[in-house]
Amino acid sequence: MPLTMVKSGEPQTIRKINGKDDTKKFLETLGIIKGEKLTVLTKTGGNVIVNVKNSRIAISKSMAMRILVQEAVK
Amino acid sequence: MNIKIALAGNPNCGKTTLYNAITGSTEYVGNRPGVTVEEKEAKLKWNKEVIIMDLPGIYSLSPYTSEEVISREYIIEKTPDVILNVVDGSNIERNLYLTTQLIETGIPVVIGLNMMDIVNKSGDVIDISKLEKTLDCPVIPISALKGTGLKEVCEKAVKMAESKKTSNIKIFSNKIENYISQTKELIKDIDFTISKKWFAVKIFENDEEIIKTLNLNNNKKSILDNIISSAEKDFDDDTESIITNERYTFIEKTVASAVKKGSKEKLSFSDKIDKIVTNRIAALPIFAVVMFIVYYISVTSIGSDLTDWANDGVFGDGWHLPFTTEKYNESVENFENAQLKIDTFKSAALENGIDTEAFEEQMEAEEPDISVINEFIEKTKYIKAEPIDNNAFTTAVKEKDFPKINIFVAAAEANEIPADVFKEEIESENPNQEIINSFIADTKDIVSEEVDNFAFVEALEIEEPNPEEFGIWVPGIPVLAESALDSINASEWVKSLVLDGIIGGVGAVLGFVPQILILFFLLAILEDCGYMARIAFILDRIFRKFGLSGKSFIPVIVGTGCGVPGIMASRTIENNNDRRLTIMTTTFIPCGAKLPIIALIAGALFKNAGWVAPSAYFLGIFAIIFSGIVLKRLQAFKGDPAPFVMELPAYHFPAVKGLFIHMWDKGKAFIKKAGTIIFLACAVIWFLQSFNLNLEMVENAEDSMLASLGKIIAPLFKPLGFGNWEASVATVTGLVAKENVVGTFGVLYGVEDVAENGVEYWAMLREAFTPVTAYAFLAFNLLCAPCFAAIGAIRREMASFKWTVFAIIYQTLLAYVAALLINLWGTAIWLNGSFAAPIILTIIIIGFILFIFINSSKKTVPITA
Repeated sequence: MPLTMVKSGEPQTIRKINGKDDTKKFLETLGIIKGEKLTVLTKTGGNVIVNVKNSRIAISKSMAMRILVQEAVK
Repeated sequence: MNIKIALAGNPNCGKTTLYNAITGSTEYVGNRPGVTVEEKEAKLKWNKEVIIMDLPGIYSLSPYTSEEVISREYIIEKTPDVILNVVDGSNIERNLYLTTQLIETGIPVVIGLNMMDIVNKSGDVIDISKLEKTLDCPVIPISALKGTGLKEVCEKAVKMAESKKTSNIKIFSNKIENYISQTKELIKDIDFTISKKWFAVKIFENDEEIIKTLNLNNNKKSILDNIISSAEKDFDDDTESIITNERYTFIEKTVASAVKKGSKEKLSFSDKIDKIVTNRIAALPIFAVVMFIVYYISVTSIGSDLTDWANDGVFGDGWHLPFTTEKYNESVENFENAQLKIDTFKSAALENGIDTEAFEEQMEAEEPDISVINEFIEKTKYIKAEPIDNNAFTTAVKEKDFPKINIFVAAAEANEIPADVFKEEIESENPNQEIINSFIADTKDIVSEEVDNFAFVEALEIEEPNPEEFGIWVPGIPVLAESALDSINASEWVKSLVLDGIIGGVGAVLGFVPQILILFFLLAILEDCGYMARIAFILDRIFRKFGLSGKSFIPVIVGTGCGVPGIMASRTIENNNDRRLTIMTTTFIPCGAKLPIIALIAGALFKNAGWVAPSAYFLGIFAIIFSGIVLKRLQAFKGDPAPFVMELPAYHFPAVKGLFIHMWDKGKAFIKKAGTIIFLACAVIWFLQSFNLNLEMVENAEDSMLASLGKIIAPLFKPLGFGNWEASVATVTGLVAKENVVGTFGVLYGVEDVAENGVEYWAMLREAFTPVTAYAFLAFNLLCAPCFAAIGAIRREMASFKWTVFAIIYQTLLAYVAALLINLWGTAIWLNGSFAAPIILTIIIIGFILFIFINSSKKTVPITA
């Protein structure tokens, strides 16, 4: 399920990041990689702020749609 | 021997704070990624042989933004002796990512583990010695803010530089190491300034820039491609992602062994603020309110009070200590009111055939004869000056009833309606009916006061207030300078140069320092508390509709302080087209130096109406959005902005000391500019307007060589409505520095007069401009090519002469068209001008824009054969 659709506050595991562009690579250097856990903190019309590795990253809708996640096992 | 230490680390991890602490510098520290966009160098406080380099913050050595390129190039090309890697302990996993890359360069690395107080508060425990062991490099806990551990970490860094001991850790799995040794084989003959391993990893990652610099031959290139594609097949991912994943796997292991997580994370204070501030509905209203408060304080309320003090006090007659000038002004007003009553009453007496000459003589005498005055009072016992309203005044003008006219004119002047022009006309043989009528229209609400004998006697008793009775009277600089010049018997032209030229011009500029200081202070708060990064995020949603990224808005807000750092802040924008577009549009927003122009026009032509300043900001934003829509249609700017990805720093309370340092640094630069370049410009302008082409001093500036020069360019501005030579000259001098526009008017009109509460200076502007042409003048000066400093910044950031010229031409053209539209529509609507011209012009412009749109959509149609 794309990151834009998840409920905020629930931990998710990143399954896949689509695309092959610089933005994807930039996200990866920020620690947004396959298998990593993240939590959506706020959502504003598709734009999200996520907590990953204890830092807050703002991601716009077009990129957030390319991040596929799955609810993490608690 | 000198030792070079490079400070490297993630954005916003405290590098600059550390840099300031160990070098004694006062570089600006903000709370958002991308405050430091240039490398900076200074000597270590304790050991002058050690040079510290502060680099822009980076997340990795794979550059995505131009500031990351700077850091990477510095490390590769200038090879520091040691890298002091600042690691934010509260965010250790992400920060160690860069560390793994730094270690790979083969340069000795020392880790300064910063923000340990936050780590401790959260309950996490970091085992330093375990961390040192797994990373194979020294780790020293520091607090850049409190100054602990700094000396130790620097000493350690120097020791590491001397021993050249590098870390020897294995980050990647055997499988990957195998691939990397294969790529290493390809470059074994090349000499590198830093480790071969780092380059091997980079070309394995398919880093195009690095591959280009290595000049591999075709054979080697195809071997490399083979290695990469077999690895990509092996891992089912591109090589860069594989490497990233491996690094994070290594870090996870490291952190798992060395960091003991404390209590479970919960929603932090910052997150709670973000829930409100970035809320879908509330975000924009909150943003609007915040910005309104910032500009209300700095431009309208406190800022303008301070500016009045600086202009009328320090650079005027003088001011009181403590600030009792207001009380003094009240008394002055009281006194002037009384004088008005006396004059009114005298005129009435005259009308009733009572001679006032003897009385007036006594009033002006040093020791007046009381009996004469008493006699006059007695004689006028039953005289009463009836109130004169606009109707009665109109009749009086027709009948040339001068006593009545004088009474009414005095009342108008007391209400700050300029009457000099009218007085001249009414006394001339053939009065210009238009001027007379416009004065009558201007004074329609004025009614002169009724004064009877009792009120007259009362008014006689009010004495002129003595400024010294209201506290310590501090004379203004012009007053001091004039008496100093008088005491040394300076010649007239020296006095004119100093008073009109230099104090007039420089003073007019310096008067705005308080306002600018407040603006910088408030902007620094916005940055330091962490809100600035959110602004970019909030506005991304809107800006994207116009083809711009939210990141384009940070340069705009920084640009409201000064365009130069604004333009430099564009470096955080990844997409090159967007960066260029942002650089071109940043200076449309009024910067601090344009505030004086706004204040001048608002004060002189619009009675300080509250809408003028906000309208200037809206005009700037409108120009930016318009440019975004139109320019995005051109081939050179096409393409969607990169998706918005930005780390949001945690909110914190601004460090007061830092705010003041920042404010003072900016203010200092402004004052310095006034003391150097504007000083010079004012002296030159004074010279040009005081002498004619034969180098003879002229009586009237009309005959000066400046007027001759101004008249050459004035026709250019004629269609905009301000084709007088003074405004033309002021516009051109604005290129030196925008505040110079005000300084130039100051010199041209001899600001000495501003001391008398500015009315005379303003009156001259009112003669030269109508409100419509004044606003056109304002619009043109706000939007046209920025000052030389900003043009220089555009040149540096564009790194292209062609683009710089394009930017300046575009800005000036846009300004010209905007001013032209304002002038034509304004004249048509308010000054009974023709509607034909503005309508035709608007149609042409709309047609031109449509042409661009249609043309561009044609080009985007995919060609299918």
